[in-house]
Amino acid sequence: MGIIFANIIAIYRRELQSYFASPFAYIVAGVFWLLSGFFFIAIFGTLVQQSIIQDQYGIPTPFDVSSEILGAFLGVLSSLVLFVMPMLSMGLYSEERKRGTLELLATSPITNWAVALGKLLGVVTFFATMVLPLLLYEVIAFSASNPPIQPTVLAIGHVGLILLAAAILSLGMFISSLTDSTVLAAILTFALALLLWVIDFIADRIGGTIGGAIGHLSLLKNYNLLAQGILDTSTLVLFASYVILGLFLTAQSIEAFRFQRS
Amino acid sequence: MIETEHLSKTYGTTSAITDVTFSVEKGEILGFLGPNGAGKTTTMRILTGYLPATSGTARIAGFEVHENSMAVRQRIGYLPETPPLYPEMTVEGFLHFVARIKGVSAGDRSARVKMALRRCNLQEKHDVLIRKLSKGFRQRVGIAQAIVHDPPAIILDEPTVGLDPRQIIEVRNLIKSLAGEHTIILSTHILPEVSMTCSRVAIINRGQVVAINTPEQLMAQLASGTGYELEVEGDLTSVHLQLEDLIGVKSVEVASDEWLAKNRHRIRVALESGCDPGREIAAAIVQSGLGLYEMKRIRVSLEDVFLELTTEEKTIDSATAESAIAESVALDSDRVEDSEPSDLEEAEMAESIDESESVPPETEDESSEAKLTDRTGGESA
Repeated sequence: MGIIFANIIAIYRRELQSYFASPFAYIVAGVFWLLSGFFFIAIFGTLVQQSIIQDQYGIPTPFDVSSEILGAFLGVLSSLVLFVMPMLSMGLYSEERKRGTLELLATSPITNWAVALGKLLGVVTFFATMVLPLLLYEVIAFSASNPPIQPTVLAIGHVGLILLAAAILSLGMFISSLTDSTVLAAILTFALALLLWVIDFIADRIGGTIGGAIGHLSLLKNYNLLAQGILDTSTLVLFASYVILGLFLTAQSIEAFRFQRS
Repeated sequence: MIETEHLSKTYGTTSAITDVTFSVEKGEILGFLGPNGAGKTTTMRILTGYLPATSGTARIAGFEVHENSMAVRQRIGYLPETPPLYPEMTVEGFLHFVARIKGVSAGDRSARVKMALRRCNLQEKHDVLIRKLSKGFRQRVGIAQAIVHDPPAIILDEPTVGLDPRQIIEVRNLIKSLAGEHTIILSTHILPEVSMTCSRVAIINRGQVVAINTPEQLMAQLASGTGYELEVEGDLTSVHLQLEDLIGVKSVEVASDEWLAKNRHRIRVALESGCDPGREIAAAIVQSGLGLYEMKRIRVSLEDVFLELTTEEKTIDSATAESAIAESVALDSDRVEDSEPSDLEEAEMAESIDESESVPPETEDESSEAKLTDRTGGESA
């Protein structure tokens, strides 16, 4: 058990190291920060102006500006995540396949599970460091708000963002383990994430119990609950299921890759 | 230390290796020699547990490679055809990572990494990014990662491919220095490499081990034996018959050589195995009044053994495969003829450059021998 843990840590550290050593990861993070900052300012400006106008015309509708801003911002972030995650996950295994380092991992006393888990933890940690600077300016912006934003709501929203990312990354890792081509991995991951995104629209069309069941699989619906600060076990279970499914499929696909390899 | 029994592997309907059986004692270096696509890599991958065998068993240090995969993985160091390197890591960082996933305890890790760096002559490059290393250094890092956890068995798939002659010599010396405490299997299609580094050679062709023995014995066992090459001056007609009648001479062949001076000829005398009528040959030439300018013994090279075995499919040790091979002779000889010349050329080129750079003792001996015979020839004439 201790050895397995040590192996996971070894893979995790190597993975993180390679993110921080790669210009590509910095570019992805930079673009993410730039776009999110831009959207934050845009949302902030629009909603504050709207509340001022409503005040001026004396419209009596209660309007909680700060939580409206947070909700809208988290919504935008989730769309950004949809685009950025495939870029982070695409190289997880396809690079190893291309460079032949998979052969090193496969002939080392380390299980496929440990490799997959270490890699996933590494990339999720990298994404978490991408989210941290956003929290900084959100806290500054919301510190003056009235009524104040609950810190738990803020925390749950961002944890939700990271869980959403973890689910997409885990599936992306599986797709990456299927191919040598990083570009193909990115495109397929994006397509799959998009499908899981809009699945509740499809479910609505189908309707009935089947439609309802499919609707529960939607990433967007479950994420929106967390973004509103609603912590529900079923939501957590769903995200955890996606993560475990991705890990399981990755471990199996690497095993199968070795068996059929010519 | 390493043993396989009736190992076979098929990919779909094509079989990559058939009934491969061999064993390697502790401290030995076994060379896998064979044309490209002969099944060297497949055999090695099975030994490392990377590929499962279709049938048969392989054991390393007593552990079955598939059933006891984790135990085996801990005890082997493996360098695949392309060294598995992370270009964004430094040499030392990468070796630390490998040591960690190979299960080297935290206390020993630094010492082991230092040791591997020293053995592979990488100390000055220890904090360089792998991406910035030349091909030769990368190959050395590849070897370093295979020995960093001090495994009892080391498996090297074409360790010298793509290196320049100086680097090839370095890598060979490194491999030789590892023998003794480690058991090593290496594969190559470069012939001089095996005779220089390996204590035993397994020649593998079309997925079957066609011969396994020490390089010297392989050469000795080859039926064609040795021969002499002579440079003489004068009319050959009488001496030709005389030579052919000598005991132990198999055939006499006059080779045309346009570089020779007028009235000089080059003769090749092939001998029966076990006979050495050198004295009689020299005497016959001198008695017929011809000038003897050069007399040189021709040794069978591993190239000859290799070509003989892989083109004509003669089995020296494993007679078992005889019938199976017979069917594929026609097909195979075509294929080998197609693919071999380039390999051989490459090998010869590598060797000739080696010689010009370092002059191995073999060539020195031969040339001094030639001088000696030249002188004695001159005296007796």
